Amino acid sequence: MTDTAAGEIKQRRADRIGLGVGLLVGVPVMLVGVVGILRHPESTPIPNFLRYFVGGDILHDFLVAPIAVAISFLVLRRVPTVARAPLRAVLFGSAVVIAVAWPGIRRYGHAQVPDNHTVQPLNYATSTLTAVAVIATIAAIWLAAVLVRDRRATPESPAPTADHDT
Amino acid sequence: MTTEAEAINSERVAARLGLALGIAFTTCFVTGLYSHFAQHPSFGFELPSRPVGLYRVTQGIHVITGVASIPLLLAKLWSVYPKLFQWPPFESLTNLVERLAIFPLIGGSIFMLFTGLANINLWYPWKFNFPDTHFRTAWIVMGALAIHIGAKFSTSRRALKREPASGTTAAPVALERRRFLLTAFGASALVALFTVGQTFRPLRRLALLAPRRPDVGPQGFPVNGTARDTGAAKFINVTTYRLEVTGKVATALSFSLDELRALPQHSATLPISCVEGWSTSQHWTGVRVRDLLAMAGVHPHSEASVLSLQPRGSYRASILDRWQAHDPDTLLALLVNGEPLALDHGYPLRLIAPNRPGVMQTKWVTQLSAR
Repeated sequence: MTDTAAGEIKQRRADRIGLGVGLLVGVPVMLVGVVGILRHPESTPIPNFLRYFVGGDILHDFLVAPIAVAISFLVLRRVPTVARAPLRAVLFGSAVVIAVAWPGIRRYGHAQVPDNHTVQPLNYATSTLTAVAVIATIAAIWLAAVLVRDRRATPESPAPTADHDT
Repeated sequence: MTTEAEAINSERVAARLGLALGIAFTTCFVTGLYSHFAQHPSFGFELPSRPVGLYRVTQGIHVITGVASIPLLLAKLWSVYPKLFQWPPFESLTNLVERLAIFPLIGGSIFMLFTGLANINLWYPWKFNFPDTHFRTAWIVMGALAIHIGAKFSTSRRALKREPASGTTAAPVALERRRFLLTAFGASALVALFTVGQTFRPLRRLALLAPRRPDVGPQGFPVNGTARDTGAAKFINVTTYRLEVTGKVATALSFSLDELRALPQHSATLPISCVEGWSTSQHWTGVRVRDLLAMAGVHPHSEASVLSLQPRGSYRASILDRWQAHDPDTLLALLVNGEPLALDHGYPLRLIAPNRPGVMQTKWVTQLSAR
């Protein structure tokens, strides 16, 4: 038996043991939640619960992730290699900020309690733009730092060998 | 496969993000359990009244960790996305079980972060009861997480070993991995920074994304339920107002507002710590609950409950365990920062006690009952 084959067998055995321990701990913990939901349909109507539980996963896998793949393919591939990581940071950071701010931008909470002016008191469109500007600034500094480092690492002409000893 | 794809979809990135999410979700679960038992005491759990700001810290951590988990979860799902289309869909029975357990983990994680984010914005687009369902789903997620950690323990441990040294052929991939992780953790830190000011006052000006500001509201701090929304406004009549001290008492008592003002007053600086993660400290003045209970001849170790003028809702009454009921800083407050309470802060009388969820700081109190 080769070392690779022996290693694979060892790995599979470790995976099986790990999964066994995980099931032993995880299944009873999961059951606390599942039984709780099944026993209290008045507070957790199951069809509505499943709509959000399954819907979030489907929405991510078949809408959000494909959009991210498309943006990655269409936008990031068209910029120089050195700018890709900072640009990805801007796109990702902005998407996260918009997602977190979205209930505020749409004032969903305030619409449910219009009498309460302390809920979502800011102009979240302006706040989001400010946050995106902060992210863009950080990414620009990152890009500048990489460019400066690369320029220093690749001098235009090699230094004379004798200088190394001085 | 490009260097970027090789880096982002590597086991090492998935393991690093998984480790961070494991720590974050466990933190949320533990602080969430504490919040649950604080609101629904069971198994003999009694909410200690000290340290004063414990709930403020635990619930602040709960919400900020949840918000900070959003970019980490998105990055983690992105790093393992190609596995969704893996063919054949499973390689062995072990692999099948492990993959089946991923569904409740991912569905539950998205559910928890979405419902949590919506809740801190007081936005409820669903039909289920938020606290109950969020709590029960947390158990499903933690169980699925335990299965996933078990199944991936060996692989993740291997993946988390040292990076290849720079100069090797794997170095560009390692650099790209670090950049992707920097983006994910950086986004996580930034959304936390832009939200934490709703509970950590020195950073309130940076709270660009926070649904609340600790300095915005009547008398300079926020409100959850207004007198109008809760229906309390219709029942507040200062001329006929009485506080009744009843229940297991030697002598039942009844006080008008003027009679309450004439009793010995005590002041304390205490936080309102909301389950939605915002908090604010204010200086309260009023009558000690333990003094009122003593006047009514109540046993010094008994519990008590308070009842609001609010006619409906889960939070119209709350229980003070023996620690809370007899803490010297537990007050039925008449004043905040030297002024009579604003109507939306519970005028004429509200409960304020140390280390207690905001929803249990009952407003518009009309009855104190010994149990």
